[in-house]
Amino acid sequence: MRVELENLSKAWDGVVGADRITLDIADGEFVAFLGPSGCGKTTTLLMVAGIYKPSGGTIKFDGHVVNEVAPKDRGIGMVFQSYALYPHMTVFGNISYPLRIQKVNKTEIKERVQKVADMMGIGDLLDRKIVQLSGGQQQRVSLGRALVKEPQLLLFDEPLSNLDARLRLTMRGEIKRLQEEMGITAIYVTHDQVEAMTMADRIAVMSGGVLQAYDVPTDLYEHPKTQFVAGFVGNPPMNFFDVEIVAMDGEFRAKSGSIDLALPRDRAEKAAAAGKDKLIMGVRPEDIYLVDDAEPAAPGRTLTAAIEVVEPLGREDLLGVTVNDVEMRVLVDKTKGAAVGDNVDLVFDMSSVQFFDPETEQSVLWT
Amino acid sequence: MTEKQLSATEQLMEQEADSLARAAIGAPKQPRSSLGRRVRSTVSAYGFLLPAIALVITFFIIPGILLIILSFTNLSSANFTEPWEFIGFANFERLFTDPFFPKILRNTVFYVFTTLIFFNLGLALVLALVTTNIPRRRGFFFRLVWLLPRLTPSVVYILMWKRIGSADPFGIYNQFMPEVLGASGGNLFLGGAPWAFVILTNGFVGASFGMIIFTSALMSIPEDLITAAKVDGASTWRIIRDIKLPLIKWPLLFIATYQTLSLLTSFEYILLLTEGGPGLFTTEVWALTAYKRAFSSYFGNSQWAFGATWAIVLVAVALVMAVLYVKIFKFNELVEEPRIENL
Amino acid sequence: MGSGKTGRFFSYAFLTLSIVPILVGYTWLVIATVSTRTRGLLPINAEGGIGGLTLGNWSFVFESAIWSAMLNSLLIAVAMVIGVGIASTSGGYALSRFKFPGRKGFLTGTLVLHAFKAEMLLIAIFFVLRWLGEIPLIGPYIGFNSVGGVALVMVALELPLGIWLMKGFFDNISWDMERAAMIDGAGRFRVWWQIMLPQVRPGIAALALFTFIAGWNAYLVPFTFTIGTKVANMPVYLNQLISDTAPVNWNQVAAVGLFQMIPLIIFFIFTQELLLNIYAGGSKGT
Ligand SMILES: Nc1ncnc2c1ncn2[C@@H]1O[C@H](COP(=O)(O)OP(=O)(O)O)[C@@H](O)[C@H]1O
Ligand SMILES: [Mg+2]
Repeated sequence: MRVELENLSKAWDGVVGADRITLDIADGEFVAFLGPSGCGKTTTLLMVAGIYKPSGGTIKFDGHVVNEVAPKDRGIGMVFQSYALYPHMTVFGNISYPLRIQKVNKTEIKERVQKVADMMGIGDLLDRKIVQLSGGQQQRVSLGRALVKEPQLLLFDEPLSNLDARLRLTMRGEIKRLQEEMGITAIYVTHDQVEAMTMADRIAVMSGGVLQAYDVPTDLYEHPKTQFVAGFVGNPPMNFFDVEIVAMDGEFRAKSGSIDLALPRDRAEKAAAAGKDKLIMGVRPEDIYLVDDAEPAAPGRTLTAAIEVVEPLGREDLLGVTVNDVEMRVLVDKTKGAAVGDNVDLVFDMSSVQFFDPETEQSVLWT
Repeated sequence: MTEKQLSATEQLMEQEADSLARAAIGAPKQPRSSLGRRVRSTVSAYGFLLPAIALVITFFIIPGILLIILSFTNLSSANFTEPWEFIGFANFERLFTDPFFPKILRNTVFYVFTTLIFFNLGLALVLALVTTNIPRRRGFFFRLVWLLPRLTPSVVYILMWKRIGSADPFGIYNQFMPEVLGASGGNLFLGGAPWAFVILTNGFVGASFGMIIFTSALMSIPEDLITAAKVDGASTWRIIRDIKLPLIKWPLLFIATYQTLSLLTSFEYILLLTEGGPGLFTTEVWALTAYKRAFSSYFGNSQWAFGATWAIVLVAVALVMAVLYVKIFKFNELVEEPRIENL
Repeated sequence: MGSGKTGRFFSYAFLTLSIVPILVGYTWLVIATVSTRTRGLLPINAEGGIGGLTLGNWSFVFESAIWSAMLNSLLIAVAMVIGVGIASTSGGYALSRFKFPGRKGFLTGTLVLHAFKAEMLLIAIFFVLRWLGEIPLIGPYIGFNSVGGVALVMVALELPLGIWLMKGFFDNISWDMERAAMIDGAGRFRVWWQIMLPQVRPGIAALALFTFIAGWNAYLVPFTFTIGTKVANMPVYLNQLISDTAPVNWNQVAAVGLFQMIPLIIFFIFTQELLLNIYAGGSKGT
């Protein structure tokens, strides 16, 4: 099912939940709503579900406005973070509930429930009480309940947040596989960018009720259109500093205090074209190296920094460093004995550097 | 829910199932108009409220209005076969010029605030603090015993207090208490100490309500908070003053409000214990006056209209206080907005 | 209070002292029911010495009046459980979960009425009941001087508490569960009946227990709105025993009192946790 949101808004006297959200979702597409807690993801999703009534804008399913259609008539299935299972019913009771309301005949109910349950790997748990299930099993029941009525649109509200890390990983793959196999359009709300990046065809990044960006995952990462998106997508988050762009000897440099870095021509020209005195430069922690990690120290791309914190992440180390007074995070393969208090030389890979207008926080590179 | 139970409610749900079947077939159902939907949502809310509304109208609203109308008539059991005769504000004049009016007013204020402060609020708080400060099962036991008066039928409960306060040779107090403590051998509730008995009987029932509310509030204070304070070296008294009391502020205000209103308008135990005596109006409170004027036959006559006048003035006072309380304590803000907006 | 041994000692001393009047009252009640006479807490025989135990006080169980009073008490209590149960579970649900014009007013009204003892309205309710009694056919069953009328009034008086209590229980159910049910295809009535009510069963049990006790113990309303022995319930019957006979046989009165407490004692023994939680549950959200 194709879903179109046009200027979809929701406000409760004074509180803005969603502010003029406009986006479209193609049939069979998997879209993630990504954003920090309280940014309006659930609000938007519940409007799509028909639980909240929009204060403005329209929701279209396959071209029909459905603003006034009751949730039960929208042909949707929904999975909640809290699972929202009916504790007084068995697994069978839960999964079959939508069918029983539709008065599907009993043999068909049995067949369909069994089929969905087998698909979810809970086929032998149908007689269990909900309280006897683990969190992962409960989430499968909840998914089964959403799928059993063969909806045309699946809604997920942070479905994996209550699960432990390992289970989250497997469920992630499973949900994605099921969705692809069944070809159901899906909207997946999450605050976990890894989830969004790995599962979604397109990601809608939200903040403060506003849609910040709507793009395929790689574009969000490589061509962030706002500083918010740049900072929110990618972990650990991007480093930002105020810089001036200076042209010298046919070369562009980003300067600020003791920071002085040579810029690649294509990006520098676009940045300079913005005509601002000051810009915000963004460099990802993974684009900064310890000198002997990579190439030998290159002139114009190296800064000396003092290590303040070392956080071992296993395969890599996350360093908190300061270049004079500017703090930044650096992701390096291994510190090779570098310890807190040491001074090290850092090399900046400037080919993926970002620039933002300090007033509008919009990217000056991508529009 | 079993299949059987499902079919029991089938008929009521016919309509829902019908619309769902349509949805299952395909295209979304024709949307209802926005107004239509809002009306439907309101109608179904009022549908759920219907039994409550019917009862509230019959037994609160109509009686409330009737009380006002009655207070302007001279209706009594002596003339109730005749049409109602309206006599203007005569009843109100009579009420405020009643020689016993100041006494009744003083009694009411004294009764409400003494019982409230010493029992319904004070003792309730102390009981909650003490019973939550000893091992769980023991605290539970004492609270349970304190609940007994509330569960006992009022007639039996007052009967027990009457026996405690009876004159020799029946009275228990007179049997066991030495004379220095005021055992005179006489009847206490209709003689020596009527107010003490009125307040004790009401207080022993009233305190358990606050005790239970405060206990549940106290028990929901995170243990960590108390531990942290203890680590900081706070004494038990400091912990109560600085942590527990501030954290149960809302329940305290709630009980204060609730019990003021409830003491002001209830009189059942006084009616059973002293009937407002001994003598003239010694323990008579406003609510009891209203009741007695209307239903006990002074001079063989139930003065319904005059009783209604006493009642309506008290109701007015109580309602004004109630509304003030609701406003001052902002009870409204504690009301959560519904998080489902569609039918 | 306080920590340490002295604190402990004072805690228990205070608590024990505080319950003395209660324990003394019940002790007398029990002793009196099996004594010919009592002096203070002591059973006394004809010669004035300690003794004279008897079961004679319990002879009332062979009289039909007590059983008719018991039946009336039971009718009032059961009617209350059903009436308050239906009106509160449905009304409480609407107030907890629906958005509709007048909701704030209803909530404030419920809160105020719940504290406000409606006993002040009895004078006017007296007239309402007399009018209800004029209704053809059903009038005699719900009007003045009928068990049904008393039950109706009692239901109404307990309703604000019931609604507030049930609203508190509904408030605690996750919104997601109700949303899930609506997406599964249920309308609000079905959600209420099949999804919500099963979740608030503890609340319904608490409310049922509370209203049963209130109905069983009811004195003021039946006393005001009934005349004579035919429609008297147990407390009214007991009070008639005290005020209509002279001299009062206190020991028989005690026996009737204890007799009427039997169901309460059973509740008291088997539903302790529930009893102590009723009020706490009802005040949620305030
Ligand atoms: N029913 C509601 N009434 C009032 N405010 C709400 C309601 N639902 C959400 N909000 C507010 O709207 C904002 C967005 O909330 P939500 O959509 O739940 O965020 P998210 O799901 O992204 O964490 C928050 O500020 C929240 O407090
Ligand atoms: Mg959310």
